Amino acid sequence: MNLNKAHFLLFYLTMTAAIASGLAIFSSASTITVLLRSAASGLFVPLLLALVTAFLLDPLVSSLEKRHIPRTRAIFCMFFLVAALFLFTGNWLISYAQNMWDSLLSDFPRYTSQLVNYLREAQLSWQSRLPFIEQYDLTGTVRSTAEQALSFALVETPKSALKLGSLMVLVPIFSFFFLRDGNNIMRGLVSLAPNRYFEMAHDLSFLVSRQMAQFIRGRIIEAAIIGAVVTIGLSLTDIRYAPLLGLFAGITNLIPYVGPIVGMVPGILIAAVDLGIGGQLWWIVLLYIVIAQVILDNFILIPVLISRVANLHPLLVILAIVMGGRLYGVIGMIIGVPIASAFKIAFIEIRHYRRAFALPDTGNDHHGQTGHTPL
Amino acid sequence: MNTLWNNIFRSKLDEETLGGFLAKVPVFTELEKRDLGYLENLIHVRNYRPQETVFEQGDPGSGMYIIRSGRVVIFTRDDHDREEELAILAPGDFFGETTLASPAPRTVSARTAENTELLGLFRSDLLATATKHPDIATRILLGLTKMISERLQAATLEIRRLQQHSDDQES
Repeated sequence: MNLNKAHFLLFYLTMTAAIASGLAIFSSASTITVLLRSAASGLFVPLLLALVTAFLLDPLVSSLEKRHIPRTRAIFCMFFLVAALFLFTGNWLISYAQNMWDSLLSDFPRYTSQLVNYLREAQLSWQSRLPFIEQYDLTGTVRSTAEQALSFALVETPKSALKLGSLMVLVPIFSFFFLRDGNNIMRGLVSLAPNRYFEMAHDLSFLVSRQMAQFIRGRIIEAAIIGAVVTIGLSLTDIRYAPLLGLFAGITNLIPYVGPIVGMVPGILIAAVDLGIGGQLWWIVLLYIVIAQVILDNFILIPVLISRVANLHPLLVILAIVMGGRLYGVIGMIIGVPIASAFKIAFIEIRHYRRAFALPDTGNDHHGQTGHTPL
Repeated sequence: MNTLWNNIFRSKLDEETLGGFLAKVPVFTELEKRDLGYLENLIHVRNYRPQETVFEQGDPGSGMYIIRSGRVVIFTRDDHDREEELAILAPGDFFGETTLASPAPRTVSARTAENTELLGLFRSDLLATATKHPDIATRILLGLTKMISERLQAATLEIRRLQQHSDDQES
């Protein structure tokens, strides 16, 4: 009887301990994920920018390496060149950008009030034709959104200057290590694979990362060229803020289908407000749609720079934009589509790889069971 | 003298270092001494337990393995899944080298017989070397070509001999 009691006590204690430790692990796990998330929250943008920088600089570093310069020294050379470039243009660039940004902030209400005027006229004409949308106040929505955006920009400008400072420290450091040790990091990750799958994992990682590098490089170069062409085309007219509009068009061009349309709205709006309806406005519309998008992007850049492998279905593009925006706001919207394309590239490479090696003799076993006579 | 203290002050012998071991493998005979350090970082060192599959017949092949220690059994399977042993390879031997240059499915299976350390050299690493250090890649490929053409020659002679043999039997 005594033994039984002791057993009972032991059982009770063990169960209590198990439940308690289970609860503790559960709560600490959720705290740990919260901690990890808050610790990593500021690192997302610098890591991303560093990765992109590393992808862009990698071909240059490799070409130096080919001339028998050790990799670390080659990376330092590239960094030195980039730093020198920034140093020489920095003074001029920063004051120029600051002036432009300040005058844009002061001009912003004028543009939005004009936009609201256009919209009000449009709304009145719709409502006279379709009375049932009378309740919907498009003008008010746009006006409040614009006001919010302006106040956000005014508050965030000094803050983002601070952020820019930390980026200028973090991005070079991260990209240096990505450039120098990226290969070793990949090797280390792949070597974790079990022996049986190691060879396949190693081969696939090579194929996928090669495609991925090409895709990222292609996208960035495409955006840069579009931005430059739009800037040059706009500066032929009397429009203000041509470089900013070009930058905006370039960045939004990273998003297929939706991006170019969003990218041309501010340019056409500013042109309509400042220059009025006339020859220059039509030239700007022509520039955005026909020259930048149809001729340059569709006929020249995309076929040359980006393989058709990365093409996403429009539905997937919209899903990626919405989901990216939910997760990481505006940055998420911009990078959501490239990340979705990266997944697609990996998926297609794996399928291609499997198909390339699927020979008839590997399927023999299955045929044998279904009564197939060997040839 | 106590054997524990035997080797402590002696620098490692050539055969004991990875580079020294690699220099003796026929594929790498064309390499110069200063290339061996690069090669050491290029290959993958993998440890296998006894009876572990290295690759199966029909797997996508993408490189060669060199045995540093242990033994590897090479075998094929017929339609009824019976295994036919072709060879037992020992340290210094290598296998799978035909898939290094051109991708092809494995024509045999390989399994370890005991605790084995294998050095893997794969096509993707060789391709990366070809763009970054073309000289080293050329020397590796030269060694590989030399070895494969020697084998091809031997195989051609063997085929001719067998042909003659069967002709003699027919007549």
